[in-house]
Amino acid sequence: MVSWLILLVIGLPWLGAAAAFFMREARPRALHTLAVAVSVVSAACAVALLPFATSEVALSLPVGGVFGDFTFIPDGMAIVLSIIATVIGSLAVIFSINYMEGEKQLGRYYALVLLFIGAMCGLVLSGSLLLMFFFWEITALCSYALISFDNDNPKAVEGGLKALIITQFGGVGLLAGALIAYGTLGTYQIPVFLAQAQTLAPALLSVMAFGFLAAAAAKSAQLPFHTWLPSAMEAPTPISALIHAATMVNAGVYLLARFYPAFEAVPGWTTAVVIVGALTALLAAIMAIVSNDLKEVLAYSTVSQLGYMVYGIGVGGVLAAQFHLLSHAVFKALLFLGAGAVIHALGTRDMRRMGGLGKEMPLVRAVFVVGALALAGIPPIFNGFWSKDMILEAGAEGGPTWAYIIMLAVAGLTALYCARMVWMVFYGERRSTAHVHDAPTAMRVALIPLAIGTVTTWLLIGPFGRLFGDTMPTHDLHLVNLGGMAAGAAAQLVIALPVIAIGLLAFWFRDRLSGVTRALGWLAALARADFGFELANRVVAGAARGAAGVVRETQTGQLNWNAVGILVGLALVLAVLALR
Amino acid sequence: MGIGLYGLLITRNLIKLVIVLQVLVKMALLALVAAGYATGQVNLGQSLAVTVLVADTVVAVIGLALAVQVRQRLGTLDVTQLSELRK
Amino acid sequence: MTYPTFIWLIGILLLASPVIYLVGRITRREDSTAPVARWLALAAVLGAWLPYLLALRDTNASMTVGAVALTMDGLGLLLAALSLALGTLVVVYSMRYMENEAGEEKYYSLLVAMIGVMIGLGTATDIFNLWLWFEAMAITSYVLVSFYRNKPLALEAGVKYLVQSAAGSMLILVGVALVLMQTGTLDIAEIRALAEPTPGFIVAGALFIIGFGVKAALVPLHTWLPDAYTQAPSGISAILSGVVTEAGLIAMLRALSALVAISASWGLLLMIFGALNMLVGNLLALRQTQVRRILAFSSLPHIGYMLIGLGIGISTGVANGLDGSMFHLLNHGLMKALAFLAAGTLLWVLHVAGTDHDELVTADLSGAGRRYPIVALAFSIAVLGLGGLPPLAGFMSKWQIFVSGFQTGDALIMATVVFAGLMSVLSLAYYAPLVNAIYRTVPSSVVAHGPTIPVLMQVPLALMALAVLVIGLWPSLLSWLAAPAAEALLAAFGG
Repeated sequence: MVSWLILLVIGLPWLGAAAAFFMREARPRALHTLAVAVSVVSAACAVALLPFATSEVALSLPVGGVFGDFTFIPDGMAIVLSIIATVIGSLAVIFSINYMEGEKQLGRYYALVLLFIGAMCGLVLSGSLLLMFFFWEITALCSYALISFDNDNPKAVEGGLKALIITQFGGVGLLAGALIAYGTLGTYQIPVFLAQAQTLAPALLSVMAFGFLAAAAAKSAQLPFHTWLPSAMEAPTPISALIHAATMVNAGVYLLARFYPAFEAVPGWTTAVVIVGALTALLAAIMAIVSNDLKEVLAYSTVSQLGYMVYGIGVGGVLAAQFHLLSHAVFKALLFLGAGAVIHALGTRDMRRMGGLGKEMPLVRAVFVVGALALAGIPPIFNGFWSKDMILEAGAEGGPTWAYIIMLAVAGLTALYCARMVWMVFYGERRSTAHVHDAPTAMRVALIPLAIGTVTTWLLIGPFGRLFGDTMPTHDLHLVNLGGMAAGAAAQLVIALPVIAIGLLAFWFRDRLSGVTRALGWLAALARADFGFELANRVVAGAARGAAGVVRETQTGQLNWNAVGILVGLALVLAVLALR
Repeated sequence: MGIGLYGLLITRNLIKLVIVLQVLVKMALLALVAAGYATGQVNLGQSLAVTVLVADTVVAVIGLALAVQVRQRLGTLDVTQLSELRK
Repeated sequence: MTYPTFIWLIGILLLASPVIYLVGRITRREDSTAPVARWLALAAVLGAWLPYLLALRDTNASMTVGAVALTMDGLGLLLAALSLALGTLVVVYSMRYMENEAGEEKYYSLLVAMIGVMIGLGTATDIFNLWLWFEAMAITSYVLVSFYRNKPLALEAGVKYLVQSAAGSMLILVGVALVLMQTGTLDIAEIRALAEPTPGFIVAGALFIIGFGVKAALVPLHTWLPDAYTQAPSGISAILSGVVTEAGLIAMLRALSALVAISASWGLLLMIFGALNMLVGNLLALRQTQVRRILAFSSLPHIGYMLIGLGIGISTGVANGLDGSMFHLLNHGLMKALAFLAAGTLLWVLHVAGTDHDELVTADLSGAGRRYPIVALAFSIAVLGLGGLPPLAGFMSKWQIFVSGFQTGDALIMATVVFAGLMSVLSLAYYAPLVNAIYRTVPSSVVAHGPTIPVLMQVPLALMALAVLVIGLWPSLLSWLAAPAAEALLAAFGG
């Protein structure tokens, strides 16, 4: 039964993808129906896996030889992430019915979306390092293809290529790690590795740990690999919601969480994780404050919140980090889809041309505010508040103080950019003259469940914790129930709430604080320039092109020159042979 | 042989290049015959030589045919002129 | 007299070749096309499958004709499979592609001969015979590369290819002579027993590497490659990139295996060339605008991966290195040939549509996704597979090579593998934009004015694309072919 469910969760979207691709764009209604049906069914299957959660291998496909067995383990983390991927995937697909209306190449769109959903589920359900890397790469392929979906738009193509190269580059870290595991232990099976991790030579384990960190940082758009995510906003907004908020970017966090027990003892690793998480959270929050592009603010916000999760893992709060992952997936998808409704209606992403839309788009405003409150971490009913406070609690107990202070400050900054974003879009004076209407039906069907989720998922902490605790024996998780979480949060609230309040008030009184804003102008300019990381990207890309240009000159087209090449080669070989 | 290889590097005329190649192959051929002689298998050396001769002649014919075509279409036999395809 | 089945295999092809030429010549139409030749060629390659499939069952069959001993071992069977499979697909493809060209009978006759000769190359057991088959392959390819005699660029490419390849062949011969001089025998197995680390043997080994290396596209001997691959007719480009270069590599390995005892550095040398190939090849491909030239240069890094795997296997005895490179040899042959055939289809469209430029550039690909969906999908699969993305075949074979490196435990080798991984990422920088161009919605003038593509050209593409996908999902599908070849190599190199 379980194996069938797993096969359906991964395989059904893939079959749907193949069907959608060959249906091309001739029959949009059939395509929409197919996509929605497939994603909803696979979501149901993912939810149906809950009672079968186990830490044992549930499905094993023997491939043989050097490829090992392709195994699937539906433990707590895997099932939760699969549910997130398929459910939010379904909602994104439903949203697309309106958003992608009249778009060309619809078949290719749905094919890639469904391929992605299946691959994401495969990634988290995978029990073999090779299989995990296999799905990891497929999600990168889908992400690239969907970001550059509008191939006629050079920015989209550039964004897609950038995302591909950067995440693949980080992926080499995962590759090296998987190869080390196989080279020393002779198997790809993750449970075996987790059990025997300490038997690896320390140097090898270190390489693996930091390699995985690099891969996770690239995938989750953490420093110094974060520059691809803002460029990825060229993707259609449902894609931003699904891939770049709720699922693929979480793969990095998933990786760190899954392998934490193996690496926590590696010297310097947890510190590195904390540094990456905290710095990313801080810098991304600053970048969000100065941005005028609605999706870019949400993108940086995602990077920042992922920083929270990474930080959470680094300080040992794996459960807290995963809980925040759940909250964030829900409210960030909500925010992106809400933004999508606005962008679709207005035709622009520039917030300076929005404003006062609340009156004409009351539903969108309402759900967007819900999402923003969750993101800012306002009590008492928003999931973001609870999970963020859990992380802060973990940080206060297990992490370095300087990092804790940074994360606290980031909470305030988050509140600041949330308020700014909500105000600029929905309140104040109307700067655009376009005629807008509230979200159409399909968009509503997607938005409302997410809004409901935002105010309710925090209640699931008890079962959530139990699910993880039962099925992930190698992890040392601090389980709490609702009461325990409330108690812990209350303690954090005392510290966090004032900071958040400062953030909100700072926005409210921004006119009076204009002196401060001017004084910090240098920081704003730095933030707009991506703190130099984009520059670093360009330097690297430029160096590669430069090197390519130089090497090209050797292809002179002159036959005599080519003959020289042969003799040089001969000399080279003789030299090597003579010296050994 | 060294002279031949050097010739390969500096000869500009296509026909002369083919000839240089021919010369080089003949040297290799001689080496084969000599090797056969030195190891007491004269017949082997000779049959090797004949085979190489045949194969090499075919190559030379093709090379010269190409040279003729080049002369006809491009009007030159100078290899340094044949560098449209580069980079 | 009963011959082993592989003799029938080679025989059918080699005998068919002149028949195709003669009959084609006789039945030539006024416009110089020769439809009979096409069908004869098809019959020949299809007919050759029967002896091949039978030959699969008697591995290590041998036959001696006079002084020449031929043996079909695992490696030979792999080469034969690749040659015959790609050869058949190219013949089918060419039936429409070449239908308006003058000299069809020459094309098919040489193509069939080339296939036969490559299979023969895999059976050679002495170094002179190896050279002979190799030379025959080269000869057929010289004529096929410069097939478009009226095109100056094709002549230029053919000339350079001939001169460089002939130089390489000459070097091999000198090496053969040196070996004969010192051992008195040409038989690979006997030489292996007699070889000692003397300067004479060392020079011979170097000559073999370089001599065969010209054909196998080792950097810096590769300069003929981009021109020859691009100027040849598309079917020939596919065969060149898919089999001929690989055959050169296999020939090199056979020759080197005779000299395995004289130096411990063969593996190291292969790895050095591998790294060089990967770096230089990727950099050369990065700034190209012509689609087929990108594909041509991209063969260099892939030979590089194979060299790394072979180097690892030869120097450390880790079987996965050899297995992986043989697997990659097959996958690369499949994917690269598919890429060239798909690009060739669009080139054909370009020629029929008639535009101001002669060679397919990236901008010409725009809109192909909507107008020619099968061709576009096939090309995307080929190119993304070459970039090593799952679920396509290239990922799995590269993985196997990388694994072998980490199984050695040697830090330098592991660093080389990481380097190879990074090179694979770099290659996406020139592969991916091709896919982006294809799926643009605004069609290029080539695509907009192009004709419908004949089914006979699309069928091979669809089959090959499907194969790439299936192998990517089930990598052990080809292990029956790759593993015996790897075993043969391991045995040859003194495992």
